Amino acid sequence: MWTQVSQSLHESMARVISRLATLLPGFLAFIAAVLFFAVIAWLLSRLVRALLGAIRIDERLARGTNAIAEWSPSYTPTTLITRIVFWFVVLMGLLVGLEAVGASSDNLLSTRLLGYIPNVLGAVVLLTLGNVIARFLSRSVLIGAVNMNLHYARLLSLGTKWLVLVLTAAMVLDHLAIGGAVVDLAFGILFGGIVLALALAVGLGSRDLVSRSLEREAARPAPETLPEEQFRHF
Amino acid sequence: MAKLELAEETKAGMEEVGTADLLIAVAVQVDDDQLRAAATQAVLSLGAAGQPGEPSLSALRTVVAFPGLSGGDTAPKAEVQDEQAATSNALRFLPYALAAGSPERIPWLAPSSTYQAVFAMARELGVSACAVIGFDLGALQSDFLAPMLAPVFDKRCELAMPFYAMGKFDGLLNSSILAPLTRALYGRRVRFPLAPDFCISGKMLPELEVALQRSTGQGQTLFWPATEAALRGCETCQVHVDTRHVPAADGVDLSTVLAQTVGPLFAEMATNAPLWQRIRGSQAVETSGVAVAPPADGAAADIRPMLETFQLGFRNLQEVWSLVLPPVTLLELKRLARLGADSFHMPDELWVRIIYDFALAYRLRTLSRIHLLGALTPLYLGWVASYAVEVGGASLTEAEQRVEKLARAYEEGKPYLLSRWRWPDRFNP
Repeated sequence: MWTQVSQSLHESMARVISRLATLLPGFLAFIAAVLFFAVIAWLLSRLVRALLGAIRIDERLARGTNAIAEWSPSYTPTTLITRIVFWFVVLMGLLVGLEAVGASSDNLLSTRLLGYIPNVLGAVVLLTLGNVIARFLSRSVLIGAVNMNLHYARLLSLGTKWLVLVLTAAMVLDHLAIGGAVVDLAFGILFGGIVLALALAVGLGSRDLVSRSLEREAARPAPETLPEEQFRHF
Repeated sequence: MAKLELAEETKAGMEEVGTADLLIAVAVQVDDDQLRAAATQAVLSLGAAGQPGEPSLSALRTVVAFPGLSGGDTAPKAEVQDEQAATSNALRFLPYALAAGSPERIPWLAPSSTYQAVFAMARELGVSACAVIGFDLGALQSDFLAPMLAPVFDKRCELAMPFYAMGKFDGLLNSSILAPLTRALYGRRVRFPLAPDFCISGKMLPELEVALQRSTGQGQTLFWPATEAALRGCETCQVHVDTRHVPAADGVDLSTVLAQTVGPLFAEMATNAPLWQRIRGSQAVETSGVAVAPPADGAAADIRPMLETFQLGFRNLQEVWSLVLPPVTLLELKRLARLGADSFHMPDELWVRIIYDFALAYRLRTLSRIHLLGALTPLYLGWVASYAVEVGGASLTEAEQRVEKLARAYEEGKPYLLSRWRWPDRFNP
């Protein structure tokens, strides 16, 4: 019996080594493709940066409203475009490399993994956009609420940020086909719960405040001039 | 840069008029009948003005341009009002198309494209002077035209800016930011650099048209007549007028006003940086006319709402302000936020550094410009509260001296601006 166990182990090892040997050229091709395309990406990004600098794209876009700069102020349009070009070419290299790995393997798992890559890329884009939007909106709400003299400005800002991030996370998981109906249900409960909690907090929590405020308003004689109208800013 | 094309109806009207001596251009939408009555009365009153022996201003061939065209209108030709204007020359009304503004734009701030149209008409008519009436018809309904036109026609200056009679708590945005900042940058002590009404000599028109074309092409939305005159070395004067404009506050909040006035000023700074960096100090401009007493201020102002907004801003906007302001400034703001209403005082040097740092952040796009100007609002209200505490019991003269002191602080703080502008990455505690 031990002979047969030993024989089975030797055979399985041989199969695994044989499969690795089959995949090895593919992996080497993958590394070579990624390195090659990374070099091309670097050269292309330098060329694009020089071209965009020559046509002064940053100055042209800075005239009037510049949506790119408003949503992502720390990156100039030249930097953003250059990075998009760079990572697009690197991505092409990754796809070429993965095709090389897939061609050297007839494994069903490899094929399904390759087919999953676009979903991952889409999810990364969604996550990035979601973060940018969450940061912009939360800051807009914070500044707007402070200027409206709302004392719960920070709470509103955090709530906005987390609502957008939760929505983004749900979209990312849905795009990655992770969790399925469980994620949809959990998101629905969480999102709905947050909105309901906020509505109850504002509605029920301010009930006494509103009635006290109305009583004070009714008892106070109307001023001839509102305090803020004494100051004319323009 | 595309040249502005006037509407066909306007061109037809100008051909009928031929040439004129004076163009009175209304830059905002007003009631037609009120305009005709006010303009006719204003031109009549020109005849009563002036010194004996001098040519009468009412003898000028005058055209009143007003926004009277829109998409589907069949506009009337230039109308002659012989029977209404008891002048030796007829008064003519010429409609033109007002540029469509964005819905968020403050209605009383005319965009630079409107001035482009006005100056194009003035140049085509070959006028010697152009009086721009903005905001409302207040300038035409008060003694405005004669005192403003006199220095232009006498060739004492090429741009006449009004010196409005304002109370202690009027025009605070102008007193705290617009006037002192333009004074420090461009070296001219013009009290109201963004005045909606002003008079301009015909000599300046071609240069201004080119400048407006360029600035509109660059996305600039406001026209700063005093700045343009200073950049071109044109003589500017100020005239005391009794015109009073009261802006409608409905639906326009302070953040919007700040964004649409201070934002373009910061944008102009970036465009004109090579020019204002060479200017040191400031020169007084000739001021004529008799100072008019403003309306009396009401009861002592309540600064608590503004102070609360400032303190709320400090508690919640630290992370935003820290992107723009250096640590020393933040420390001073922290100290200020602890002060009560009676002892609240924002030093001029602090306020000046804040404005200069925000101007730099605007240029560098440290954060979104919308957020930047929104974050300035609580700081501005803090300044207003401090100013109100200082001048609450003071006379109008003392309040004006207080504003002058702030303007000098802007000039003295200009080296700070220069150093930050040229070397923004330098260590700045």
